[in-house]
Amino acid sequence: MSLWADKYRPCALGRVDYHREQAAQLRNLVQCGDFPHLLVYGPSGAGKKTRIMCLLRELYGAGVEKLRIEHQSITTPSKKKIEISTIASNYHLEVNPSDAGNSDRVVIQELLKTVAQSQQLETSTQRDFKVVLLTEVDKLTKDAQHALRRTMEKYMATCRLILCCNSVSKIIAPIQSRCLAVRVPAPSIEDICHVLSSVCKKEGLTLPQDLARRLAEKSGRNLRKALLMCEACRVQQYPFTSDQDIPETDWEVYLRETANAIVSQQTPQRLLEVRGRLYELLTHCIPPEIIMKGLLSELLNNCDGQLKGEVAQMAAFYEHRLQLGSKAIYHLEAFVAKFMALYKKFMEDGLEDMMF
Amino acid sequence: MMSKNSSRRKIVPTKVTDWVAPSFDDFFGNTNILSSTLLVKSSGEANQHQKRKDHSSVPESSKNKVLARIKGKSSSIDHICDHSKQNQSQSQNEPWVDKYKPGTQNELAVHKKKIEEVESWLKAQIFQRQPKQGGSVLVLTGPPGCGKSATIQILTKELHVQVQEWTNPISLDFRKEDFKDAFNYESSFQMLPSQAQTTLFQDFLLRANKYNKLQMLGESTEADDKLILIEDMPNQFYRDRDSLHEILRRFVRTSRCPLVFIISDSLSGDSNQKLLFTKEIQEELCISSISFNPVAPTMMMKVLNRIATAEASMNGEKFAVPDKTSLELICKGCSGDIRSAINSLQFSSLKEYSSENNLWSRKKGKSTLKSNTEASRTKKKKKADKTLENQEIQAIGGKDASIFLFHALGKILYCKRESLSDSEFPRLPSHLSEYERDTLLVQPEDIVEKSHMPGDLFNLYLHQNYVDFFTDIDDLVRASEYLSTADFLCSNWNSRPTLREYSASVATRGVIHSNTARAFAHCQGGMGFRPFHKPQWFLINKKYQENCLAAKSLFSSFCLPPLCLQTQLLPFLAMLTNPMRNQAQIAFIQDVGRLPLKRHFGGLKLETLTDKDLGMPGFENIDEGDLSAMRPLEVLVQLEKNQINETELDEFPLTSSQASGSELPGSQPQPITAQAIMEEDELKIDEYDSD
Amino acid sequence: MQAFLKGPSSISTKAPASKERGTAAAAAAAGGSGEGMRLKPIPWVEKYRPKCVDEVAFQEEVVAVLKKSLEGADLPNLLFYGPPGTGKTSTILALARDLYGPELFRQRVLELNASDERGIQVIREKVKTFAQLTVSGSRSDGKVCPPFKIVILDEADSMTSAAQAALRRTMEKESKTTRFCLICNYISRIIEPLTSRCSKFRFKPLTDKIQQQRLWAVSEKENVKVSNEAISCLVQVSEGDLRKAITFLQSATRLTGGKEITEKVVTEIAGVVPKETIDGLLSACQSGSFEKLETVVKNLINEGYAAAQLVNQLHDDIVEREDLTDKQKSIIAEKLAEVDKCLTDGADEYLQLISLCAVVMQQLTQNG
Repeated sequence: MSLWADKYRPCALGRVDYHREQAAQLRNLVQCGDFPHLLVYGPSGAGKKTRIMCLLRELYGAGVEKLRIEHQSITTPSKKKIEISTIASNYHLEVNPSDAGNSDRVVIQELLKTVAQSQQLETSTQRDFKVVLLTEVDKLTKDAQHALRRTMEKYMATCRLILCCNSVSKIIAPIQSRCLAVRVPAPSIEDICHVLSSVCKKEGLTLPQDLARRLAEKSGRNLRKALLMCEACRVQQYPFTSDQDIPETDWEVYLRETANAIVSQQTPQRLLEVRGRLYELLTHCIPPEIIMKGLLSELLNNCDGQLKGEVAQMAAFYEHRLQLGSKAIYHLEAFVAKFMALYKKFMEDGLEDMMF
Repeated sequence: MMSKNSSRRKIVPTKVTDWVAPSFDDFFGNTNILSSTLLVKSSGEANQHQKRKDHSSVPESSKNKVLARIKGKSSSIDHICDHSKQNQSQSQNEPWVDKYKPGTQNELAVHKKKIEEVESWLKAQIFQRQPKQGGSVLVLTGPPGCGKSATIQILTKELHVQVQEWTNPISLDFRKEDFKDAFNYESSFQMLPSQAQTTLFQDFLLRANKYNKLQMLGESTEADDKLILIEDMPNQFYRDRDSLHEILRRFVRTSRCPLVFIISDSLSGDSNQKLLFTKEIQEELCISSISFNPVAPTMMMKVLNRIATAEASMNGEKFAVPDKTSLELICKGCSGDIRSAINSLQFSSLKEYSSENNLWSRKKGKSTLKSNTEASRTKKKKKADKTLENQEIQAIGGKDASIFLFHALGKILYCKRESLSDSEFPRLPSHLSEYERDTLLVQPEDIVEKSHMPGDLFNLYLHQNYVDFFTDIDDLVRASEYLSTADFLCSNWNSRPTLREYSASVATRGVIHSNTARAFAHCQGGMGFRPFHKPQWFLINKKYQENCLAAKSLFSSFCLPPLCLQTQLLPFLAMLTNPMRNQAQIAFIQDVGRLPLKRHFGGLKLETLTDKDLGMPGFENIDEGDLSAMRPLEVLVQLEKNQINETELDEFPLTSSQASGSELPGSQPQPITAQAIMEEDELKIDEYDSD
Repeated sequence: MQAFLKGPSSISTKAPASKERGTAAAAAAAGGSGEGMRLKPIPWVEKYRPKCVDEVAFQEEVVAVLKKSLEGADLPNLLFYGPPGTGKTSTILALARDLYGPELFRQRVLELNASDERGIQVIREKVKTFAQLTVSGSRSDGKVCPPFKIVILDEADSMTSAAQAALRRTMEKESKTTRFCLICNYISRIIEPLTSRCSKFRFKPLTDKIQQQRLWAVSEKENVKVSNEAISCLVQVSEGDLRKAITFLQSATRLTGGKEITEKVVTEIAGVVPKETIDGLLSACQSGSFEKLETVVKNLINEGYAAAQLVNQLHDDIVEREDLTDKQKSIIAEKLAEVDKCLTDGADEYLQLISLCAVVMQQLTQNG
């Protein structure tokens, strides 16, 4: 029994559920013979990976679906060994170079070199190039991106790159200009409703329209999340009712509780308590930037117009520092403290206004 | 250990022997041997032979060496004569540390109670031993120069206990070089492989044990009680403490005499005692441990005074004996190290020196001026001033005054201030009045420097503890902002080494300044004691990284980027009833995917920081990025151990996540075999069947 | 990994694969690109590079000077600068081809760009050895050709200043036999001693008209159907960069597969945020409702638009708005700059956009 999100993933460009026009364009691209480097970008859960796999299948046939996980070790010039795991078929190689941390440049260069310089595919096969799929390119260091740009040109003859990322903002211009950019927008609420209903139908379940809509809205246009939630609903209660509770992940609930704790009291002791809760979230693998974003949206629900703008600016300010700094807790805590002070002042002012 | 040794030798001028170092040391060729040879040179070798026999229980090999060296020396006796002439003139300024070494318990600059403690232990172990009782072990710890060795020396002398001491044989190597120049002497020393040190040590311990009934020539017969002393720990044990433990176990089983370890604390980081004698071994072998404190200033003054008066009466014309204030300064400057205090006393009282440079008197003048102003202040402040003063004394012979982390944090967080008198300083204009602060009595930068910690680490300690000291949320905002800025400052790898100091400065001063509750001298009371804690960040960060890596490798078959995996898939998997194939996965999901809701936070224990803690040396150099390189394997292998192995371990046909319904669904978690993980070094190719 | 490198050589894997391929393979064969005899597709940018100096578009002053050297005058060291895609590289290549003809071209011209290693060592060794070869003053076909070689240093502004300094000596020493042509975007990044040794030519951004002409010409030769709006849109998104425009045109052709290229396709490829979306965002700011703004920004991110691109476009829009005072504009512009910097530092897009919009909203609602 596998997850619905994987079980009902479309496997051909002709069968995707939404963005059909784009799918048609991608098929044209495959057919026109000269295949450029691709840069596929879009938010999480929009179906980037699905489209890429469909595209590869279109290029090479079903062979690309035979995947193997491999572990490779690459030695840097400074003799440091880097372990990295790749997923590969006979035709393509998928790797997340940001796994290698600061040595991502070496990983990219070495991997591409081995792939590109290895013997060419036999001429009887359909394509004379192989594909290297790099995920999370936006997490690459600038150094690695520049290296990537050079290697891209160098090995154009024998391999193509498909770069996959959430946002092109962090990708240097020379790479963008060397790739054909494909934007994959998140599916609309209607798209998600449609997919949810059809999946439920295939599972032999009936999904009330209202519930589908609520699921879609709650997912924030993230199809994977919507499907996971739907599946969790199924575990929780069946037959579905249109007003049933939609299960939330523990960390989201925990984060909301944390936000409530911040709003209900603004003292140094409470700050210490919140610090403990932040630590708890971190140990449960919730990345600091997600915590910051989640906290912001929960806190925003608790304040008024003018305050909202200010709080949002603060969040942006500290999140930026968090990205640059080395210890996230300083910045998260500074944000919480700042919010506490702002909120306290706001409440006190409000109280005074009521008095007079 | 070697480094500690050599650093100690740096403090003490090389030709000087430690007065606390026991005289039996000389057999192993400490520089004493030179002077002893000089003294007895007329009586010739016979005398020396006899002396050597006194110590017939020393390891055979080192005995030979000493013998050989003595021969070599006498052969080049002319050379020594030249030497001796020079030395003759200086013999009256024999190092004071040696000259005035304590002879009785009363002269010891150690607290009475400590001496009693040691004495009673010795008595209990030597005179009241049960016949079947095994060997017993005592560990003496304390900062250098607090009289550990001297205490043992005097007590054993008074109790008529014979002492056998271990000296690292490896030091012979460099001694050989030293003597080569002086005596032009070709060595016939047998080189000792360093590995054999442990074996030698073991031999020494057990042999010293075995032969304790032997009568020794030249020793009074009554002294057949014996004590083994180890001050010089073989280096090998720092790397491999298990072997030490093994030897100790054997010793305790077989031995009939007590064993005393003397271990100096070092401020530079690793606490040797904790490293070598873990709690477990201490309990297992009933090791007693007595810790010495730095010599108290009053005691120190007593000793210094005694020496000063004695010197004045003996060589009044040669020495300008310092007055009381300078003695006090010396006393403060050496931070409880009596050896260093006596050395600086001797150095500073050399007449030629003081007349030529006049450095000491100038300093004296300065400091008396200081103490004059000080006199006008209250007593309480005087105490706080100590740190400021320390800096001025250090120029001559003073020791680096270090502060334990605990005190450093306290100084920052309790930030002592002194009220301004209106006439002295201009006030801030009214619109800036909220920034008005009394003068700080501490130098934050100095404190950080003296805590021997990199700035960013110090910041972490500060961050862990600062909140307790604030009462107003607005102050807290400013303080937290400064801490955030401090972290931001040392974010860049290239500039980190330099900016670290600035970052610590920003953080400490920021925290101090933003605490308006402690802005003025008059509002500083009533804080009470707050416990300090060690930063949790390392633990948290480590756990975060480990969990992320574990997630990545356990669920790699989902082919998801880490972000989705951690925030979407795992939490939902915890809610779904999907059968996980793999125990490790189930355990991990329950552990990480679930959070303790509606409950108070209590998962993380706070570790209290005590006044002797030296920070976390192990963590200092681990930067976040490095973790990824080393942890995954351990974590995984461990996780995999829990896993219920499946039948086909060698193959894991992984179908694509896009696989059509008929094939094995891609999302089904595929077990990663432990083997596959451990063989990461090779490129692993998995055969698969097409059907 | 090895299996992947070897490719599908085992029969067991190949057989089912080729069956599945079916339609795609047929389509490819029908397209005339039979396996093995398929021509290497050349990027249009290379294909339609000007072949001789006369073909260079729009840069009249430069062309005039270079033509003189074609007529026999000596050539100075050259420094071309200007925005990307204005024909700098094309011009010097065309000139070299005119000077030497296709045969001598390879011998006489050394082209180094940023992709090559270009430390001091390379400048010293490679350039020196190349420069030291002596050359004759005639071509094999009897025509006269100048007795010097040309070294083209593309993207010279990314050379380290140490390497540039090393180049200075080399330039002087080899002046008898070699001419250098430095190409860069920003002349300020070239060290003074180098610029003073070269005659500088600034390449202007191409006018819309010239670009349109070129694009029409290319699409005609390639048999591509393009709408008028698409062409003007191409010109607009490429911002005077002809190379970008042609690359976009080619990509669009690939994607549409024979159908007419529309404006929408072009905007999509260029990653430009549609005008309506920007207007929607600004009107949300105008409304003064933070909740509304939040949803709009969330949707923007969900649509996958790059925040950096959005910032650029917002800037264009804000600067030209008439309902804002200069002071308000400058406040917003400052925030725009800050956000841009934060984005390059890797800060979260949503948070940055929200904070930017909060400022815009504050400014917009202030006077309303």
